[in-house]
Amino acid sequence: MSVTHLPNTHYTSLLSAHTNNLMGQDVSWLKSLRKKATEAFSATGFPTLREEEWRYTNISPIEKKQFAVAEKPGKLDAAFVKTVLLEGCYHLVFVDGFYQAELSSMDGLPAGATASALSEGLSEHEALIKSLLDSTVETPALGFVNFNTALFTDGAVISIEENTVLDKPIQLAFISSKEAALKLTNSRNLVLAKASSKASIIETFHSVEESCHHTNVITEVVVEPNANLSHNRLQAESLKAYHIGGVYSRLENNAIFNQSNYTFGANLSRCEIHGTLGEASDCTLNGLYVGQDKQHMDNHTRLNHAHPHAVSNEFYKGVLGDSSRGVFQGRIVVAQDAQKTDAKMNNRNLLLSDRAEVDAKPQLEIYADDVKCAHGVTVGQLDETAIFYLRSRGADKQTAKNMLTFAFANEMIEGLDFEPLRMAVLEELLKRFPQAGMKKEWL
Amino acid sequence: MLKVENLHVSVEGKEILKGINLEIGAGEVHAIMGPNGSGKSTLSYVLSGREGYDITEGRVLFNGKDLFEMSVEERAWAGVFLAFQYPVEVPGVSNIYFLKAALNGIRKFQGLDELDAMDFISMVKSKMKDLDMDEKFLYRAVNEGFSGGEKKRNEILQMSVLEPTLCLLDETDSGLDIDALQIVAEGVNRLRDPKRSFVLVTHYQRLLDYIKPDYVHVLAQGKVVKSGGPELALELEEKGYAWVDEKIAS
Repeated sequence: MSVTHLPNTHYTSLLSAHTNNLMGQDVSWLKSLRKKATEAFSATGFPTLREEEWRYTNISPIEKKQFAVAEKPGKLDAAFVKTVLLEGCYHLVFVDGFYQAELSSMDGLPAGATASALSEGLSEHEALIKSLLDSTVETPALGFVNFNTALFTDGAVISIEENTVLDKPIQLAFISSKEAALKLTNSRNLVLAKASSKASIIETFHSVEESCHHTNVITEVVVEPNANLSHNRLQAESLKAYHIGGVYSRLENNAIFNQSNYTFGANLSRCEIHGTLGEASDCTLNGLYVGQDKQHMDNHTRLNHAHPHAVSNEFYKGVLGDSSRGVFQGRIVVAQDAQKTDAKMNNRNLLLSDRAEVDAKPQLEIYADDVKCAHGVTVGQLDETAIFYLRSRGADKQTAKNMLTFAFANEMIEGLDFEPLRMAVLEELLKRFPQAGMKKEWL
Repeated sequence: MLKVENLHVSVEGKEILKGINLEIGAGEVHAIMGPNGSGKSTLSYVLSGREGYDITEGRVLFNGKDLFEMSVEERAWAGVFLAFQYPVEVPGVSNIYFLKAALNGIRKFQGLDELDAMDFISMVKSKMKDLDMDEKFLYRAVNEGFSGGEKKRNEILQMSVLEPTLCLLDETDSGLDIDALQIVAEGVNRLRDPKRSFVLVTHYQRLLDYIKPDYVHVLAQGKVVKSGGPELALELEEKGYAWVDEKIAS
């Protein structure tokens, strides 16, 4: 099916106006990659509801808002930065899409690891960047990916050498300042875990105030044989923001990849978590989305079991209150050669209001004949018997509901073994239960 | 303490309780016995405030206040506790969190401060020891994966932590082996107090071997057909519920 529609001229003209000011103008391969992406975007524009993968998420508000490009980092209150940086991590901090060296700290990074901003590391790590950039995104690339490739201002490049175990997680903190209002930022992260290495990356997204801004961030991940990479994502942006995210990964033979994806913020968000699985690789995708007001949260996962013996476990939970709407589309493709694939996908949704809505769509495409694949989707409400039980013990009705909702969501959080991250995610969750009864110190 | 006056209750248009009268004084233990379908469980659910029951006639006074004017949690705050026949599993909520939320809800109502965390833990642990419960149950989700006996013990644990004044025990003996029954009964007996009353709803007499009631009422077809002392339970055990049916027929 071919989809034709008119690309948004505002964003097409942004590309031609800005591409000459971006990092890497003197790097010919990068310049031509950006040019190619610009052309591709100019031909397609952003996706529309007519495309099957986008039928539940209408991004036309992004087109109507006509966001301008953030051209420099806004000023930040140091106290705010402190609240978003996790203890016990290396930190790379980006403000409005620009690396902020003075807010970042990579002291003590082991010799076997490279982690720097693209803008600072381009000359030193050019070969690495070239090998990773646009290497994991499948074709045809989506409009937002092309837009990002054409226009990304910065991001992180991380490489863990063979047999290296990174002692602490690396946190990439993306902060939108006050000046980001009505602007868009494009960031690109590249992560390579070389053979038999082990590392943990945490991406977090924040807004200084409740402003309307647009974030488009893409992370490309390559996990080499026997490497073990954990990647966590916490999106806690302003409730007026528009957030488009993507994590595109390639797992080589026997690689282990654990991805968890927490969505709390943004008026409209869409996150793509894609992976191509090598032989006997092991991929875990966990996700939690908690929507309030009129938030729209769309998570799209796609796993390509391309080779035999790979295992994937996918578990996404959604809590949707008020008039919020959740979308979960999980697609697993098992290629003909991918015998002995073991793929599980589970999506459970809790609707807290009769105005809340969820569209859940698991898709399995299986071309091999000796595989184990299972998927399940549930949409439900709080258990009335359990509410009665809690009330009969003295919890008031709202507390009882909060406790049960919290418990439902916490299942996706309690397994986080890095305590500062677990507490940060927990805090975001508890912010959504301000009424009464939920106490962090009891947990 | 509790006065049930001419209580009529229907479920989906069908009358289950047809005029119950009961008076339970402070410190008393009453047993309500009856065959299946006699309305025993309905009575305990109505008293605790569960939805789905239409009170068509009569009233219940708890310490002089109209119980049906109180929400479920208000009843709990005022000191009513129902030990469930089938305790509910609450996935994801740990027992310790649950107990704290419950106790602090009640303390708040009583105008008391929240209990200090350390004091709370040691208090709960000592009560668990009395009930021969492993401390690991504190950190497990409420009743999730508990055996029948463990669930019943957990109910008694909650009761001993929350210290209600009116304890309704709905078929607490069901699913308990003799050891567990003795432990549970001892737990209940430890709570006996001149200011605390118990209503034991049970099909069988065996619980009453361990928790001695002051009064026994026989419920059949939605009515109290006979009331008496502990000897009535023994008589029932001996003659069976058919004997009750005969009495109604005559």
